[in-house]
Amino acid sequence: MSVKETNDPKIIAFCCNWCTYTGADLAGLNRSHYPENVHIVRVPCSGRVNPQFILRAFRNGCDGVMVCGCHPGDCHYSTGNYFTRRRFTLMKRLLEYNGIDPGRFHARWISGSEAGKFRDTAEEVTAMVRKLGPNTRYREYARREMSADE
Amino acid sequence: MKIKKDKFKDALASIAKEAKVFLPMKGVYASEYRVWDGAGEPFFERNTALPPKELLFPRSERMYEYDLNAGTVTEAAPDEKIVIAGIRPCDVRSVEHLDKVFLESEYTDVYYRARRENLTMIAYGCATPAPTCFCDSMDVVPTDAPGADVVMNDAGNSYVLTVNTPKGEHIRDLISSFLSEGKADDVPAVSCSLKVEKPDDLHKQLIARFDDPMWETLSDACLGCGCCSYICPTCYCFDIGRENRGKTGTAFRCWDSCMFSDYSRMAGGHNPRPTKKERLRNRYLHKLAYFPERYGTSLCVGCGRCIDKCPARLDITNVPDIIQGSESNG
Amino acid sequence: MNDNLAKMREAAKRALESGDVGYVIGWGATKFPDKTSPLFMRKPEDAERLVWNEYAIPGIAKYLLDDLYPDKPIGVFVRGCDSRAINRMMKDNRIKRENLRLLGIPCDGKDDERCTICRNRNPLVYDELLWDEAPTPEPKDRYFRANAVEAMSADGRYAYWSEVFDQCIRCYACRNICPACNCKECYVDMTATGFQGKQHSRSDNLIFGVTRAFHVGDRCIECGECERVCPMGLPIMGQTQKILKDINELVGDYESGVDAESENYLGVFDLDDKDEFM
Repeated sequence: MSVKETNDPKIIAFCCNWCTYTGADLAGLNRSHYPENVHIVRVPCSGRVNPQFILRAFRNGCDGVMVCGCHPGDCHYSTGNYFTRRRFTLMKRLLEYNGIDPGRFHARWISGSEAGKFRDTAEEVTAMVRKLGPNTRYREYARREMSADE
Repeated sequence: MKIKKDKFKDALASIAKEAKVFLPMKGVYASEYRVWDGAGEPFFERNTALPPKELLFPRSERMYEYDLNAGTVTEAAPDEKIVIAGIRPCDVRSVEHLDKVFLESEYTDVYYRARRENLTMIAYGCATPAPTCFCDSMDVVPTDAPGADVVMNDAGNSYVLTVNTPKGEHIRDLISSFLSEGKADDVPAVSCSLKVEKPDDLHKQLIARFDDPMWETLSDACLGCGCCSYICPTCYCFDIGRENRGKTGTAFRCWDSCMFSDYSRMAGGHNPRPTKKERLRNRYLHKLAYFPERYGTSLCVGCGRCIDKCPARLDITNVPDIIQGSESNG
Repeated sequence: MNDNLAKMREAAKRALESGDVGYVIGWGATKFPDKTSPLFMRKPEDAERLVWNEYAIPGIAKYLLDDLYPDKPIGVFVRGCDSRAINRMMKDNRIKRENLRLLGIPCDGKDDERCTICRNRNPLVYDELLWDEAPTPEPKDRYFRANAVEAMSADGRYAYWSEVFDQCIRCYACRNICPACNCKECYVDMTATGFQGKQHSRSDNLIFGVTRAFHVGDRCIECGECERVCPMGLPIMGQTQKILKDINELVGDYESGVDAESENYLGVFDLDDKDEFM
């Protein structure tokens, strides 16, 4: 799949298979509309999401990243999202410390029945990232003429 | 010819009109050959932390770009004129070695050639060798650089210039208004405090001792990082990779180091150099044995950077010492 | 100092003569008075080459990972920082206590910026203590680098770290010396996975810097070796200090490597952890 170079924000959402992905599915079944800027990557558990996924997404041209999983206590694997919580509480601070706008990274708990919350979150994050504009930080440009850093 | 020290920057400014001027300068964190912005002070007290090879063989270099939608491939053709003012004789020698590899062997490297042809080197005769310097043991004269286009030596309140090549004559013409007549007083001889004695057939002896237990003791403290290769002015290994986005992208090459495990790892996982012992042996032998065998000169120029910066304080001069020691012991 | 050196040589010699240990790791002289190199003593007479002075700074615990299945225990001199490194690697199941013979040497502090935040000059784990412990002086600001960077604006922080990592040559010395960076195989060396681009660009350098910090941040023993070994002199403790500072703010007093039992922060969880992700 090729990433189009447009000014429209591109947002990756890492969604846990059991809750958020199902929630997004339900949003579709309900015919509710959410911005097509949000691209879902299904992961078995939000605990699967490695901080490098986030850095890699920014590097390869995403303007915003979401990590979404079951509410604490509801994890399909009992404890996965407790680790997610610790990990990304730290990671969010570290990203901010390194100069990435906090509006570009979001972690949310969205259950399988919260189709509305998924839609609202997608809209909110897209609006926020659109306002921030294209991300240039941590970004590796595939071609020289697109490079801002060098 | 002489140039007054207070006219040095004016002279650089006239060169900067037609070429990018690099000077050894202190950075925020480490000294290196940096683009001269018109004001920066040169750093001549000791050699830079980073070698000048980056200017000819960048850390990461775009080789070509492709766009399969348009069916085009655009090759990079570096054409920037570069003048290094104040390159040390040891580093000049390192460029001569890189020339042997990239230009004078069977295959000519086009990217290197393009950069090399556009490069003019003004050497700065070294008056203050660091404690880790041993270039005079590696057949470099600290105050002279026959491979440079111009050689510049400190003579109190002025620099004495010697022009070696047509490129150097061009530099002389550019800065002629700042030059005054003056014969080089004899430049005082400079000698490094670190001396290395090596037998003439060092490379043969080293290869004969390929399985010697000395490699184990030499590599005991090695951390297996790539520091020595990256700050070495003559380490020239590289890796080629691609940055791909769908149907467009770039091929690049970047520095690589034989000290890394993935350098020699083959498809399927076998690694002929499984531990730091084999890797360090390879690096030392490349400098002191393989290169001399092939090109007739040691690849180590004695700049001392690896001794100074090695986190474990490994010392390449211990290798000839061991050989010399065992020779005298009979 | 000379007294202590004599005790160290004696201890190394005794251990090697008794045959209880295969070899002893300490510090040896180089050709330069202001540099010492890790020394591996295999024969009793090698102990004479041991040195102990203000330049005996290099961390030596990480070398234990080069020999995971030794025939005989490995002798190693341990200062406070080395002992925390050993605790860290034991907790991470990388080395076994029975393979170690720890010769404790309370450290007198070295003339190094990183040593000003030292909280444990005395070894926390050892088999024998070669001389008496002395109290560790009050450490300076534990987060001196992180505090300085936090005071900047977001753009300033990005500019700061860009300048730092533009200078990074990616030699991975910081990774190789770090006792918390003890994976059998590093993600950086697994080039086929594509996690780490090999090009020396600003983005890939920054990604390496942040990833390295995050991989070791909660297990960092604050020895400062990553900065000491950096050939470019980069202030990379600023990244790990930030992580430690956040952990301390989130859960209170937290330190790694002070014993070989405590779990590292990211290795466990608490049902009552702070939740910002409603």
